[in-house]
Amino acid sequence: MIRVAAVGDIHLGPGSAGTLRPAFESLHEQADLLLLAGDLTRHGTAEEGEVVAGEVAGLGIPVVAVLGNHDYQSDQEAEVAAALDRVGVTVLEGEGTVLNIRGARVGVAGTKGFGGGFAGRSGGEFGEPEMKDFIRYTRRCADGLRKSLTMLAEADCAVRIALTHYAPVPDTLAGEPLEIYPFLGSYLLAEAVDEGGADLAVHGHAHMGTEHGMTSEGVRVRNVAQPVIGRAFAVYHLPVHAGGAAAGGGGVKAGADAVGAH
Amino acid sequence: MSAADTAEYRIAHLRDRLASEDIAELGIRIEQRGTSVMLYGTVASDDCRAEILRIAREELAGLPLREDLVVVCADAPDHPEELS
Ligand SMILES: [Fe+2]
Ligand SMILES: [Fe+2]
Repeated sequence: MIRVAAVGDIHLGPGSAGTLRPAFESLHEQADLLLLAGDLTRHGTAEEGEVVAGEVAGLGIPVVAVLGNHDYQSDQEAEVAAALDRVGVTVLEGEGTVLNIRGARVGVAGTKGFGGGFAGRSGGEFGEPEMKDFIRYTRRCADGLRKSLTMLAEADCAVRIALTHYAPVPDTLAGEPLEIYPFLGSYLLAEAVDEGGADLAVHGHAHMGTEHGMTSEGVRVRNVAQPVIGRAFAVYHLPVHAGGAAAGGGGVKAGADAVGAH
Repeated sequence: MSAADTAEYRIAHLRDRLASEDIAELGIRIEQRGTSVMLYGTVASDDCRAEILRIAREELAGLPLREDLVVVCADAPDHPEELS
């Protein structure tokens, strides 16, 4: 069994250093890895990136992140990612990473994702260049997710997790105004999860949404935006499928190696 | 136009201000309820809550304001969810 801790939308700013640290200190007793589902900062400045890095540094378990729209606000998303990278956080965008957790290969595929809406109520690649760009960008994110999930399967991962900021399904948006659903996620992400295959899909972004949802193919979806889970993080216990566990690599130490999707 | 007539535009302006100013708050709901305006949702800190309410009172001056903004809990969870 793999214990997955996850939280998104922590929105840390210069004044919020230390707010999550007390809960994170004992995280290694409750979880084998921590997933960060984007919107880690308030304005996406390099300075805020350092605050986030300080909050998640040296937790004793691997930390894997995607960025969110707030982390792009100041055009310093590369600096935010670099600050996280310096403290050992793996930041994914259209790629996957394989962790060795007590002998089991655990794969995480990540993309920020983007909006567009859900099946039957979504924008299309039609008309003005701005509209085409909008949907094409979402499609690129979804393609990156699909490819990385496929590569994680080929890498013999016993457990695969899809990590996004935007929502793959509307289920976990319940509580948000229907009118803004197209800005909260896209069915293209769910399609990628179902085609690539995953044991769990984790996202954030919808602060007023709900925790539980599922894709058409039955992949469980969890909205881990901190306002939604009402805690510093949520913990999910995932079974390890028989035959998928790799030999060796025991103990609590987990190594990460990046699997590029492009 | 009366204050109530223009309330929906003023709410839209408030939304824009909350997104564009330093607070960068996009995650709360602001709705017209009769002649008053209701703000609710979960925010990151006491300071954020105070700043949102300050901006809302300024932007919606003259409109009755009701609010139910709560500060997010940062405690560790007391139990995991078992997924089969
Ligand atoms: Fe957020
Ligand atoms: Fe977001």
